[in-house]
Amino acid sequence: MSKPNFVPRKQELQLKSENTSLFLQVIISIAVFIFAITLSGVLAVDSMIDNWNRSILGSLTVQIIPSNNLNKEKAVAETLAHQEKVVDFLRSVNGIIKVTPLSDEQLGDLLHPWLGDDVSVSELPIPRIIDVKIDSSVNIDFTQLAKDLSTVSPLASLDNHKLWLNKLIAFADGLKMIATTILLLVSLITSGAIFYTTKMSLGLQHNVIEILHIIGAKDTYVAQQYAKHMGTLGFIGGLGGIIFAVPAIFFIGNLAASIEGGIISDTSLTICDWIIILSLPVFSMIIAVITAYYTVKQTLKKML
Amino acid sequence: MNNFCYRHYRLNWQERHRLIRNNSNNNIIEMDGVGIRYDQGPEILSNVRLALPKGSFHFLTGQSGAGKTSLLSLMYLAQRPSRGNISIFGHDINFANRSQLASFRRRIGVVFQDFRLLEHLSAFDNVALPLRVCDMDEKEIRKRVTEFLTWVELDHHMYDKASTLSGGEKQRVAIARAVINRPDILLADEPTGNVDSIIAGKLMKLFVELNKIGTTIVIATHSDKIINDFHYPRLHLQNRSLHIYYPESTLVLGDLNV
Repeated sequence: MSKPNFVPRKQELQLKSENTSLFLQVIISIAVFIFAITLSGVLAVDSMIDNWNRSILGSLTVQIIPSNNLNKEKAVAETLAHQEKVVDFLRSVNGIIKVTPLSDEQLGDLLHPWLGDDVSVSELPIPRIIDVKIDSSVNIDFTQLAKDLSTVSPLASLDNHKLWLNKLIAFADGLKMIATTILLLVSLITSGAIFYTTKMSLGLQHNVIEILHIIGAKDTYVAQQYAKHMGTLGFIGGLGGIIFAVPAIFFIGNLAASIEGGIISDTSLTICDWIIILSLPVFSMIIAVITAYYTVKQTLKKML
Repeated sequence: MNNFCYRHYRLNWQERHRLIRNNSNNNIIEMDGVGIRYDQGPEILSNVRLALPKGSFHFLTGQSGAGKTSLLSLMYLAQRPSRGNISIFGHDINFANRSQLASFRRRIGVVFQDFRLLEHLSAFDNVALPLRVCDMDEKEIRKRVTEFLTWVELDHHMYDKASTLSGGEKQRVAIARAVINRPDILLADEPTGNVDSIIAGKLMKLFVELNKIGTTIVIATHSDKIINDFHYPRLHLQNRSLHIYYPESTLVLGDLNV
């Protein structure tokens, strides 16, 4: 015996040496990269909507439009007087826990992203804002509250955030739908690439498969070898995609966080989101295994 | 062939059918009205009727292009006939599913004229193939393959790649692969075509030994010497038909089952 010791078993199908392996790995890497970025976008939008909902639920805003008195000082005094009345009224309403009129400083902070540092709130005809915390367990009739408010002060208007939030949610949902379509397309393209690579390989390996068949190999024997090979390519390709995607996600996240105004600053991904994104190579492996397995089974069915 | 005396049987259709039917439990392969053609070409074989009893030994002869390889390929289920019925191990292949066909193939050993080894694998892995497709335990595979390769005197080339072996060595690897699973039937296409007369004699002895332990054997050959030396019935293909000849010396009355 030329080699008396254990010699590792070689696979009958020489799939590793096929040129298509590298091509498929690159395709899967790109697909997983796009998938990860898009998925992180979907998850971020989801968490953004969640944050909006959480912060807005149980709160409303009352706005006091500035008095149109031509005398600036009088106008400010009138507006503040209206604010005082409204605050007193709101504190008497059942179900309202806390009423906080925003100070000049706070209003200045809100305007800061648009008007810069040199903002003198008292100089500008801007509405005063009262932040109202409500007990979400008490069912407040907002229409009635709005009517009562206008009786107390014609300058007061009620905003329970529903309108703009609904518009934002509709917009976010639209984004999510587009993203989901991208995810589906990327999955389809990946499956398609695996399908055609497997088909091509079956053609190349035709002689070996024929011998295996004559010897009595069942279709599953061949299909399992393909599934194992394609699964490995799917995993390695997926890993490659993720290695590039993670820094890209951080980069986009940082860009989003640097946008001031508080609208997209709360888009951070949760640990759960990261687990989903980091497990994408496993998903690409599963897709590769299933696609390859069934492609082989279906193709071999046509043989005797 | 001329110096060897055969009795040529021409049975009518009813007689053959009766014989096939009566002995169906004892037959490994039965063919009835089988024809084969490729694409839209003419039939290569036409109206073949045949029944191979368990434990029989037959030579398959005929000129080049007479359809020997095609007939063998029908026997090892590599293709379906264009018409007619084939039964193998008592099952009509028209009604067998793919999984059953694979199970039948595991009971058939085939030695190809061109060996059809997997050249990138070692002699060991080639011989181990039929056991691996059956999911046999690797320990048992190791034991059996070593035993068989020693039997065909190739134990010193066990881990050599098939591509590095000589024609005769490849032939023996192909034979070891065909018989490792102890098949019920062994089909060999010109198994002595690529080896010298000494090895050819050894191989024939090996086939005879296998036949003695119950393996049904069909050997396609051109060699008159082998046919003359071993007195077994001969299936002869001529003009697209199958004719059956028995050597006078071994004819047993009533043994008309081919």
